Amino acid sequence: MSDLSPKIIGFVCDWSVALAEAVTEDGRLRALPNVHIIMVPCSGFLRPQWVELALKQGADGAFVCGCPYGDCLNREGNYLIRDRIQQMRRRLQRQRVDPDRVAMIAYGFHDGEAFIAAVREFADRVRAMGTAAPSARAPVSGSS
Amino acid sequence: MYKRWLRALQRATLRVDVFINRVYPSEWNPLYFTGGLGNLFLVVLVLSGIFIFLYYMPSIDSAHNSVSYLTERVPYGGLIRGIHRYAADGFMLAILLHLFRNWFTDRYLFSRDSPWISGMFLLGFAGFVGVNGYMMAWDDRGQALLAMTVRVLESINLRLPFLVITTHPLGFGGIEWVHVGRATADLLTAGPGIGEGTLVRLLYMHVVPASTLFLLLWWHYVRLRHPKIWPPATWVLFCLGAVTFFAAVVPAVSGTPAQPAGKPAAFPLDVFYLLPYWLLKFMGPVVVVVLGVAVFAYGFYIPYQMREEQIEPLRHAGKAIVIEPNCTGCELCYYDCPYNAIVMASSPRPGQTRAAANRKLVAIVLDSRCVECGICIGACPFQALELPQITEAQIQEKVLAACRT
Ligand code: HEM
Ligand code: SF4
Ligand code: SF4
Repeated sequence: MSDLSPKIIGFVCDWSVALAEAVTEDGRLRALPNVHIIMVPCSGFLRPQWVELALKQGADGAFVCGCPYGDCLNREGNYLIRDRIQQMRRRLQRQRVDPDRVAMIAYGFHDGEAFIAAVREFADRVRAMGTAAPSARAPVSGSS
Repeated sequence: MYKRWLRALQRATLRVDVFINRVYPSEWNPLYFTGGLGNLFLVVLVLSGIFIFLYYMPSIDSAHNSVSYLTERVPYGGLIRGIHRYAADGFMLAILLHLFRNWFTDRYLFSRDSPWISGMFLLGFAGFVGVNGYMMAWDDRGQALLAMTVRVLESINLRLPFLVITTHPLGFGGIEWVHVGRATADLLTAGPGIGEGTLVRLLYMHVVPASTLFLLLWWHYVRLRHPKIWPPATWVLFCLGAVTFFAAVVPAVSGTPAQPAGKPAAFPLDVFYLLPYWLLKFMGPVVVVVLGVAVFAYGFYIPYQMREEQIEPLRHAGKAIVIEPNCTGCELCYYDCPYNAIVMASSPRPGQTRAAANRKLVAIVLDSRCVECGICIGACPFQALELPQITEAQIQEKVLAACRT
């Protein structure tokens, strides 16, 4: 049980850290089975609403991983999502959700180990916040 | 096969980044703004070039002397000449790194061909200007380079028919077969053989194509939103320092003046510009020309070599589409698309959602420019954009599935 908590959802850019071998069939990190990975074409593709959706639907934390700053395949995606996450954190604060439940990280193709270490640290931080939190709140309407 | 080879080079390129990023914060990684470094050197070249231009005398008798005068007599003249030379090397180094990095990291495919094709022109013009610069010093090396160039051009034994117009009442004087290679050589030397006009022509061929680089750069940037055209200040200072340092420690000097019948057997080789001339030692001129043309032709073909099916599916999600009824005309996607692929048009009718009811504008994606990155999807707060193959519903489904287990 404790192995699968806290529940973390990570949105990872396909071009950033190489995870082909590090992820199981059902989308969990081998090293950290409590972390679900959703691959996206570019970190800038993410709508912050999707990250919020994860929190509202019962994830204890969510993070976005883009390429190292300056090396976005699409030039600006990681900067843009970093700004959008920053705005989202302020929004979460107003909704009384701890903004540290979301994080933005940036790792390159060969940075697998550093990536896992960062995710582990993030998971530990979320664990310290307690896992109950936001799922009690009203579920969002799926696609409004 | 090509793809496997390219992927190996990609891994190697990104492996280099790992080491550099250990030394610097990633935003300082010089390989992340090689284009900006090229620009920096180009500006240094223009400024130092203007200075040299003030002293340069384009004639067979005085070209070499005027350069010597600049180097030896004019305060800082030698230093500035050295800066011009080493900045030219830095420029070529930067744009070659830029070329290979963009190639090995897939930044040129399909809709992204516009910077690549203009880049090939930039490369050709830069190489030409550089070689030309060595000729202009009009020392033994300059003369040898010009002679070799003329020899290579003349070896292109291609003849094309031209109509000859005469003053005869009928106006038509028949057809003349023009030797293309020799005609080109004559254009370079301004007249048959090296003569009084040659150095003026060389100066012209140095300054005009160098200025044309800026026109080409406009083309290079036209599809890029906020191109990073300048490196961070620390790197600017470092590069200026490095160029000045080299100019002071290894001054740029001329060889002996060109002799009317001189034929130097050896001269110092600048690997960044003069490599093709070195090849002439081992290959016939025709082979070198064919090789050069082949390399350039291949360069132009590179963006079209990979087929779309060969791209990883996530990176090939289809051109973004606007869900017109939802679009409010807020312009956020227009500001964030890194490839200027979205334009705003005046809206022919109101949108259907409440937020879109009073819109004045509507977003349009220009398919020919869209690189399928999806950044506009993240920008749109009104769910009015989708990537056809990775839809919002699919992502939400994945999120819900992950939350359930
Ligand atoms: C005069 C020389 C050149 C200069 C000053 C220059 C400068 C630049 C700059 C500032 C950018 C924008 C980078 C960004 O903001 O993402 C860029 C992009 C680009 N350049 Fe160049 N460049 C030069 C030559 C070349 C050459 C020779 C090539 C290759 C044939 C090339 C290929 C590209 C490509 C493909 C991009 C687009 C990168 C992307 O989409 O992220 N450039 N260049
Ligand atoms: S997916 Fe969107 S942001 Fe990316 S190039 Fe196409 S229109 Fe621009
Ligand atoms: S961000 Fe969305 S709503 Fe705003 S103009 Fe673009 S498509 Fe329309």
